[in-house]
Amino acid sequence: MSRVLRFGVTLSSLLMAAGLLIASLQSAPLPMPERNPTLGELIRQLGSGQLLGTSGSSAITLMFAGLVLLMLTPSLRVITTLVVFRAEKDWKFVGIATLVFLLLAGQVVYSLR
Amino acid sequence: MSLPSFLLLILGGCVAGTLGTLLGIGGGLFLIPFLVLVIGIPIHQAIATSIIAVIATSSTGASIYLERGIVNIRLGMLLEVATVIGAIAGGLTANVLSGALLTKFFATIMLITAMLMVQRLRKEPAHNRVAHGGLFASSFIDDATGQTIQYSVEKIPGTMFVSLLAGNISGLLGIGGGAFKVPAMHLLSGVPIKAATATSNFMIGVTAAASAFIYFSHGHLNPALASSATLGVLGGSIAGTQIGKRLHSHVLVWIFVVFLLIISIQMYLK
Repeated sequence: MSRVLRFGVTLSSLLMAAGLLIASLQSAPLPMPERNPTLGELIRQLGSGQLLGTSGSSAITLMFAGLVLLMLTPSLRVITTLVVFRAEKDWKFVGIATLVFLLLAGQVVYSLR
Repeated sequence: MSLPSFLLLILGGCVAGTLGTLLGIGGGLFLIPFLVLVIGIPIHQAIATSIIAVIATSSTGASIYLERGIVNIRLGMLLEVATVIGAIAGGLTANVLSGALLTKFFATIMLITAMLMVQRLRKEPAHNRVAHGGLFASSFIDDATGQTIQYSVEKIPGTMFVSLLAGNISGLLGIGGGAFKVPAMHLLSGVPIKAATATSNFMIGVTAAASAFIYFSHGHLNPALASSATLGVLGGSIAGTQIGKRLHSHVLVWIFVVFLLIISIQMYLK
């Protein structure tokens, strides 16, 4: 659990810092999207190679990627906890951890519709 | 946004993170007034930014407490059911409330937190409750004394109710809610203060994450603002941990109680 949390915070911080660095090197003001991208749109932007450019949109994509990863890190911790309880055959707490995960997943799905 | 703007935000986040860590109340309580009063950010964006920073700092703190074996994981998981429900409700509510009402509510919570900080200045009685087992009974080694502290957990329904309210406040105002969870676990359920603090830290990240995507979907998450402030708060919380080892002063707490009172009045007047 500790490693999952550290990994999530470290990687998301690196993504955000990279985005800020690229943005600070721009001579033009940072372009802001008219609305926030959904998780699917972010994944497509990451896959289309925009990360390799130095345009302002790449900076925003990197920052959003870091922010989304950070927001998902606690959910990853809950999954890890669930796996630990399952390994210990503590079914009561497998149920509790599953409930917490479903609540988190539900609000993510609802919010990104 | 320009380079000076990024640096100002990082610096402000760093100060907020340092102060929050020194005082044990998290960075959100200082970050949001900085963003609203100094930078001039609308409160919904400030709350969204603070929630992201809270996830980062609590996840970092929780990883340390987990390694030290102080967190009561089972109790934390159970209370998370209540805090997550409360946080989701808080996040949904905040997005239909006006900025003015949220600002005044935030100022009220600052006042309550100031009173709780004064309460904590009273000498903590030694943990003398006898452990009698139970589903959530646990133990940890106190670093300060080297002793193994065993404890049981009582009155869980009451603590769950307070956790529900703390989660609601967290989702509504973008703070961690530890100022309410820790006293509930300690005073109601008999959890030693160190274990209560560690368990609260363990829960706060999940609580904040429960409302983060709601703010994201309402367009309140400015990526440059959130990234700068979060990195600053993370750096500040690490610095605060180091400074805190060398600093232990009731005077410092009283100075910041006065600071919280002044800021809360300014938030009321905004």
